[in-house]
Amino acid sequence: MISTRDLGEQLAKIALETASRDNANYADIRLVNTVIETVSMINENPASEESNDLGAGIRVLYQNGWGFASTDDLEPENIRETTRKAFALARGAAKIGSKLTRAKEPVHVANWESPRKKDPFAVSTEKKFEVLKDVTGEMKAEGVVARRGQIISTKIEKYFANSEGSKIYQNLIQTGAQIVVAVKGPSGIQRRSDQQYALEGYELIDELDLPGKAPVLTKEAIELTTAPGCQEGRSDVVISGDQVGLQVHESCGHPIELDRVLGYEANFAGRSFLSPDQLGKLQYGSEHVNIVMDATLSHGQGLGTFAYDDEGVESQRKYAIRKGKFVGYLMSRSTAESVGELRSNGCMRADTYQLPIIRMTNVSLEPGDWDYDELIEDTKDGILMDTNYGWSIDQKRYNFQFNCEKGYAIKNGSVEGMIRGPGYSGITPEFWNACDAVCNKKSWVLWGTPNCGKGQPQQVMGTGHGASPSRFRNIRVFGA
Amino acid sequence: MSQASVQKHGTLQERGHRIFDTVRKYAHGAQEIEISLVASTGEYLRFGNNELGQSQYVKGRTLSVRVASGKKQARTTTSRLDESFIQKTVEKAVAELKTAPEDPDYLPMLGHQKYQTVNRYHNRTVEESAETKAGYVAHAIELARNNKLLASGVLGTNMDEGLMLNTAGLESYYRGTGGNFSLTMDADNGNQTGFALSTFADISELDPKKLSETALERAKLNKSQTEVSPGKYDVVIDPYAWSEMLFFFIVSASAGFTPDFGTRQYKEGRSYLSGRLGEKILGDNVSLEDDVMHPLQMGPTFDGEGYPKSKLTLVENGVLRALASSRISAHRYPDAHPTGHELPLPNPLGETPVNLVFHGKGPTRTTEELVGELDKGLLLTRLWYIREVDSRTKTLTGMTRDGTFLVENGEIKRPVRNLRFNQSLLDLFSNIEKFTDPVRNTTFGGPSMLQPGILAKDFNFSSVSPF
Repeated sequence: MISTRDLGEQLAKIALETASRDNANYADIRLVNTVIETVSMINENPASEESNDLGAGIRVLYQNGWGFASTDDLEPENIRETTRKAFALARGAAKIGSKLTRAKEPVHVANWESPRKKDPFAVSTEKKFEVLKDVTGEMKAEGVVARRGQIISTKIEKYFANSEGSKIYQNLIQTGAQIVVAVKGPSGIQRRSDQQYALEGYELIDELDLPGKAPVLTKEAIELTTAPGCQEGRSDVVISGDQVGLQVHESCGHPIELDRVLGYEANFAGRSFLSPDQLGKLQYGSEHVNIVMDATLSHGQGLGTFAYDDEGVESQRKYAIRKGKFVGYLMSRSTAESVGELRSNGCMRADTYQLPIIRMTNVSLEPGDWDYDELIEDTKDGILMDTNYGWSIDQKRYNFQFNCEKGYAIKNGSVEGMIRGPGYSGITPEFWNACDAVCNKKSWVLWGTPNCGKGQPQQVMGTGHGASPSRFRNIRVFGA
Repeated sequence: MSQASVQKHGTLQERGHRIFDTVRKYAHGAQEIEISLVASTGEYLRFGNNELGQSQYVKGRTLSVRVASGKKQARTTTSRLDESFIQKTVEKAVAELKTAPEDPDYLPMLGHQKYQTVNRYHNRTVEESAETKAGYVAHAIELARNNKLLASGVLGTNMDEGLMLNTAGLESYYRGTGGNFSLTMDADNGNQTGFALSTFADISELDPKKLSETALERAKLNKSQTEVSPGKYDVVIDPYAWSEMLFFFIVSASAGFTPDFGTRQYKEGRSYLSGRLGEKILGDNVSLEDDVMHPLQMGPTFDGEGYPKSKLTLVENGVLRALASSRISAHRYPDAHPTGHELPLPNPLGETPVNLVFHGKGPTRTTEELVGELDKGLLLTRLWYIREVDSRTKTLTGMTRDGTFLVENGEIKRPVRNLRFNQSLLDLFSNIEKFTDPVRNTTFGGPSMLQPGILAKDFNFSSVSPF
């Protein structure tokens, strides 16, 4: 059976020659082989599925019009036909015209494999079911109505080639898991959950110790059913690292997507409040807020880590927010020059072999100076909020509302009673300017968000968000 | 150029039977075998910033194989239909089957069934040329340019075809077409916006000029917004504004995003509706059905294991009357019978309705008539980023976008800044006074939904956006 890399080389030759014969100004092709294994347990019911999706996506630029076509029929003649479809769409788009340009990128010829200690596909499904049976078994208790666990293993092989001469093969392994327990009580159904996804092998599942967490989560969910709700008002809040990660995703990661800023996503994902005139000027957050866009391996093994993006641009580390000031966008080759940049910072990514669009890589809040215990001791009167339950934000990414699974009152520097379903809301720049403390590297984790939706038709993408517990002053809080 | 293409391997049924023979050849040791073969094509003319920048043509096929022995089952899926890949896929499924845990709810595969026939395949939808569709988009862009606005959106058409076969003699087949034209016109970095949407099975139903004019009219109206205070307002909600809201009526986050109207979830206590059958949960004038045969509905007339779908009156005049069910539920619970609402197996999530029809009692109005009958309140043309806050009360939060208007004495007075809402759906659906006819409103890959525009009292807004 031919390898993805060898097949990619063969098909690239066909597609790029076809596009060249039609006088395309530029063309690229990605052959992507995705294998996903999902193993799940809900209560006593098991389910497993392994899917293998191999296909090619071809982009063609003709004059100033882009066209894209994808197929999973990899016969040479169909690759030629698919290239012609992309070309025909590009020619149609050129009639309407575009202001987009194409920033230069060096030619890359490379092979890259993401690090993994234990191949998740070499671990038997039987073993994964055993872990999940242990998890759901540990969740059995009075009032429990749902016990859930899921382990997902993903292998992505990508071969990219373009008409400029780049030829890049990447092999990525991602692993993740989620466990959920739901308990019915006087306040309705209360949920506790835990999840993590990363560019790692099965060692991640071993480290997560899901069976060890299950009884703790169950006890907490039971406690939540009788815990008091959160009083509406204003309060200082300390937010857990995973929740800060999602806050970064929604209120920093999305607004810095340059395609949104330029109006290309206005119909669905929306726009952004970060118009180009604010670049280098807007005080997005306090001096404690430093946010990087970092796809390099040195940042960690996140869902936004890779060697080259899906238009062949090398992974990079750039600041989006430095000492609170807004300084950079997530970009593509087509959009970089619109904000005066000569090179894309490598943020074009695609769900399987679909059309690449600007996506978050690892958009992370850099660690601060605080030990977690010191931060709690320093908080006189506040609320600790932990683990996301729901999230919502307006299309320009100003007005957000998040609610969490659990909270605790902080009184005079110590964590006290549990609070059910605490929530907080705000306006993005006001919120980040209210950040007065970020915990240090000891409590910093590169969290994985596996389900970011964008595009039409919608694509799902995994992104990474490093974050540690952080404190925000005088925030609007409420109860579910 | 169009989406239509010659099928070099014969019809999907012919190819499916050949593949089924191949699958059986390699499925040594499996007592039961099921295959699903799905083929789809789509063409999406996506535009933004008055440019046709992301045109896409997509073509895909998927073979999914489910094998079972005793109470064990396993599923594998591939997009490669060469024999060597099929062999690999089947052998992987059989290997997984040997070590899979037993499913206490496993039932032998379903045998031959008879289905109601529907014609949901419209040649014009797949044959309409990209040039013609690009003309619709070009008209929208031209209209926007002429009015100093930017057009963005997508005109997408798709064709889906699926065949299911199993060793118990089941054969089910469906093909259908669909599409939507979603259009935003905006200016001033999105501070001035207007939105319009049309969803269709037959592209002949699409009136692209009218759609463009609706987006334009709303964008022109939605300029220089002023702020209104958060609080309770009577509202008119456009029928195309709230599909995500209806989705969260049938799905809860409290047990990790599980459907609520299924028998298994109801009986296990996972649903916010558990224990409430026969209870009045919504207003007297509200009914919710699951009716795959409704003329505006889309999709196959059978469920994920091939069982024929029945019409369900889930909520009748505000009373919770029925639940979606399946063979598994009927086997577990003596008072349940299969209704054809299973998802592809194995499915530990439980059953769900997927052909929703939400409608009101009494004479219907147009959206314009609803606005004309609103004394004082807000017209909401699009709701956005809706999520659950509390499952017990079905309280959702979300935002308005692309046009929120203050209405007084039946007339639109002025645009207002976007608002965040925190609203119980149970309360909202008890406060509806008037309805439009339901429209087809399926755009985000969720269930196929028909829903009306509504005039409702006391909709709760909690904060205001800066734009």
